[in-house]
Amino acid sequence: MNSTLLLLPILIPLAAAVIVLGIRRFSTAAGAVALIFTALNLAVTLRLFGQEAYFTGGSAGFGIDFILRLYHFNSLILAAVAFFGFLIALYCQRFLKEKAYAGRFYVYMLASIFCVNGAVLSDNLILFLFFWEGLLITLYTMIALGRAEAYKTAIKAFIIVGVSDLCLMAGLGLTAAIAGTTTLSQIHLALTPASCAACILLIIGAIAKSGSAPFHTWIPDAAVDAPLPFMAFMPASLEKLLGIYFLIRITLDMFAVVPHSSISTLLMSVGAVTIIVAVMMALIQKDYKRLLAYHAVSQVGYMVLGIGTALPIGILGGIFHMLNNSLYKAGLFLTAGAVERQAATTDLARLGGLRRNMPVTCVCFLVTACAISGVPPFNGFFSKELVYAAALERGRIFYLAAVTGSLFTALSFLKLGHAVFFGALPQERQAAKEAPASMLLPMIVIASLCVVLGLGNKSAVEQILAPILSAGAVGHSGGHGMLVLITVAVLVIAVLSHLRQAKIQGGGLKAAAYIYQAPILATIFRWAQRRFFDPYYVVAKILRAGAWILYGCDRLVNWFSDGAVVGVARISGSVIRKAHDGNYATYVAWVLAGTALVVILFITRG
Amino acid sequence: MVSFFILVPFLCVLLLNLPWGNLARRLALWVGLGLTAGQAAVSACALAGWIDLRAIPVSPFFKYDLALDTLSIVLLLCSALVFGVALLLSRPLVSQGEQRFNFVCLLLLMLAGTNAVALVRDVFSLYVFIEAVSIVSFILISFNKDQDAFEGAFKYIVLSSMATVLMVLSISLLVLVAGTTSFDGVRAAVAASRHAGVVLGAIGLFLCGLFIKGGLMPFHGWLPDAYTCALNPVSVCLAGIGTKAVGVYTLIRLAYFVFGIDAAVSQAFLLVGAFSIVAGSLAALNQTDYKRLLAYSSISQVGYIILGLGAGTGLGLAAAAFHFFNHAVFKTLLFVNAGALEQKTGLRDMRKLGGLSARMPLTGFSSLIGALSAAGVPPLSGFWSKLLIIIALIGAGYHGYALVAVLASVLTLAYMLAWQRNIFFGPLAAGLENIEEAGWEISGSALLLAVILIGVGIAFPLYLCKLIW
Repeated sequence: MNSTLLLLPILIPLAAAVIVLGIRRFSTAAGAVALIFTALNLAVTLRLFGQEAYFTGGSAGFGIDFILRLYHFNSLILAAVAFFGFLIALYCQRFLKEKAYAGRFYVYMLASIFCVNGAVLSDNLILFLFFWEGLLITLYTMIALGRAEAYKTAIKAFIIVGVSDLCLMAGLGLTAAIAGTTTLSQIHLALTPASCAACILLIIGAIAKSGSAPFHTWIPDAAVDAPLPFMAFMPASLEKLLGIYFLIRITLDMFAVVPHSSISTLLMSVGAVTIIVAVMMALIQKDYKRLLAYHAVSQVGYMVLGIGTALPIGILGGIFHMLNNSLYKAGLFLTAGAVERQAATTDLARLGGLRRNMPVTCVCFLVTACAISGVPPFNGFFSKELVYAAALERGRIFYLAAVTGSLFTALSFLKLGHAVFFGALPQERQAAKEAPASMLLPMIVIASLCVVLGLGNKSAVEQILAPILSAGAVGHSGGHGMLVLITVAVLVIAVLSHLRQAKIQGGGLKAAAYIYQAPILATIFRWAQRRFFDPYYVVAKILRAGAWILYGCDRLVNWFSDGAVVGVARISGSVIRKAHDGNYATYVAWVLAGTALVVILFITRG
Repeated sequence: MVSFFILVPFLCVLLLNLPWGNLARRLALWVGLGLTAGQAAVSACALAGWIDLRAIPVSPFFKYDLALDTLSIVLLLCSALVFGVALLLSRPLVSQGEQRFNFVCLLLLMLAGTNAVALVRDVFSLYVFIEAVSIVSFILISFNKDQDAFEGAFKYIVLSSMATVLMVLSISLLVLVAGTTSFDGVRAAVAASRHAGVVLGAIGLFLCGLFIKGGLMPFHGWLPDAYTCALNPVSVCLAGIGTKAVGVYTLIRLAYFVFGIDAAVSQAFLLVGAFSIVAGSLAALNQTDYKRLLAYSSISQVGYIILGLGAGTGLGLAAAAFHFFNHAVFKTLLFVNAGALEQKTGLRDMRKLGGLSARMPLTGFSSLIGALSAAGVPPLSGFWSKLLIIIALIGAGYHGYALVAVLASVLTLAYMLAWQRNIFFGPLAAGLENIEEAGWEISGSALLLAVILIGVGIAFPLYLCKLIW
């Protein structure tokens, strides 16, 4: 294979972005160009899929070399990115039709694909960093495209991701210094204290990009503020793919993270906490998109947990879950977009009974919701089972956290589905119609893939995913009968609980209320709703308090310099002025007094 | 040869007053300008080291010992510069004929007096020439022949007579101790019996007399009135050099080369200097009459010179001499600007002025340079001399006084900016729409002085090397 082909996944989106930038005012033409080029990109990445190649371009010195490397794993990521790019572009054709920012959205979307492809392909740390940071810019600009207040969320996202990217940058520098090379595929470090620090810094960058706690707080805000395709595109798929891809590169290639190492335990703890915290927050959400956003965070927890086990089966589960999650989460966001466009709201209290008006959307939602809740035989079930098995092997507490997460996931999706598609149709939603075909098609494709990957999970894992692990031989553990039983039991409990509570509360929306109104949890939830647990918010509060204190100091100094000092100068000046009364006798008296003082001084000091 | 500095102006005055008729009247101003230009050229060359006046043998002249060092040359240069500018200003500002002729003659006499002050090496002769300069000053202040001018001159006469009493008393005490009035003799006698009450009293009284002449607080009562009431060319030469030559140069000369700086002298200088700086700036801050503001600023700036002297070190002396030069230049510049303002607007109240930069760009620009130089803004020359003074104070261990000097420079900046803003910046005040730029004599000399401030500021390192000997 001609290795210059490797340039295509980078050059195609770049060229497309430049072209669309030129014609961004004509949104239909811009959309068509974006669609054509994403299709082209998909074709190229499918051609490259499963191949190995190495491309060496120029070198800029200082270890900055233009090296691209294609191998099994990143060809998979490339294809997945291209696939989602194409589907979102298709979806946007109608969704963004009337939006003024459509042209710009396509530019940023194509630029994001350019950055992700570049980052995934680059085999040089500096080159990687270039593309990785490029994504930060498109992240900011895409969020800022949303409603008028969106720039605040954009700034929040920029700061959170930017700070973690600084950690990543430091980590890259440290890694390069320790390894003595900037070529990614040549770095294989044992875990010494120094390399451990580098590893943790890199992990911070990777999990922040994938949206894990505690770096996730911008995602729910962006869900409300940013354009919806952005949510389906960036936090749900692209950033997960890139962040988890890099996390696996860190733990698998660059550093020898073994089970029972401290980094492994740290990662697993982060994963478990992310699962629980985010899913609990999802339970109480009353907005379609915000609820999904918390799940987008929660699901990252499973991937980080699985990869953190450092067991082959866990890593496999993590990768599989990454793919599955990108699918069903993007699908869920697309159904949210369809509901938003057709029913003009995403407020759960004002929705309901849409299954008759939007049957296809409803079916797609049901399939993807089952997949995310881990219902067999959809794809989410199988990847979760792999993660469960690995978590159980490392500690019961992690397994417990993962299963609890599943319970709450199921509960919140029962609530969501019930509130949107079942129950009574509100009067003002009677006119809601099914979404146009170009929006339905991506949802249908995604939903069917969820089913296909679920049914064909064995071959998918063994033929596509297993080769990623150099260990190769991974016993597929579909046979954990006990675990499957527990999973099914949890789902049954969730359904029963929902049905009972829905009857008591008289509606799907409040079916999970008994959890977040429980005595202690209620307080915690109230604090969480008031953002006490949002690091960005807390730091902003502290900074604001600091700013007020500094402002006070400044006023004090200002009062002193502009008020007190000037006042004293003015008053003493006018006293001196008044003392000059123009009478020479006064002046003579001053001279005599001065002379007396000088003479006294001379006599005493002399 | 050195005595030419005294003889030539004096002889010129005599010659001009022979009955030449109208010719002398017409020539007088140009003779004066030629003289000052020549003196400025010679002393500048001497200062730059191109000619060595010191190599020329010193001869006794009318029993006066004359001598010359770099400090004297600085004074010669300053007086030539300031008197030249004052003569130039007299063309537009003093009415033609008898009055201007008298003015030129008096100025030349004053030039002879200040040159003599620079050169004499004898306590009594020094006193005589101080008085000569002072008497010419009395006449010049009352030159306008109006109520204010007479009042200002009278205050000066009263306080000057006190200075005379103090100095004569001191000289008689010194003669008692030393038996001679020459600098060398007095120096030897003072060094021999430093702690004798007579010597201490003599030094203290002489210094007090000079404080009066130099207008240091609290000996300054005459100064604001005298500067303000006088004609502008007179204000220029009084503020620029007249009182500085008789009051400040003499202090430097006597303190460093005759009495020697001991703890008491140093203490007196520091106290009087710091008080003058602070009280002078505070008083300047509250003035509405711009000439009075400049007068108080003059007190404050002289305070800096004295404070530098108080450090008692070679660096302090160099710094004081440098600030002496700078002050002569920027205060002359500011008074030239004041002359332009008064000639064109007829106003002295800053509250009625404003926005004149638009109408008088050259005056506005040169005034800005002068104001910033006075405030000690780098890289103008005033910055370097103030910096040196502060460094000298810190080097001598007077940290408190150094702090006063630093903080007071903020006050200086405050009143100089008040001057600049109230007169030149902001919207044009009502009734000033038809004001025009002053004539070439005034704006030309203002520009020349501004260029000196900038040039000296930039070429400072070279200058410093020449000054420290």
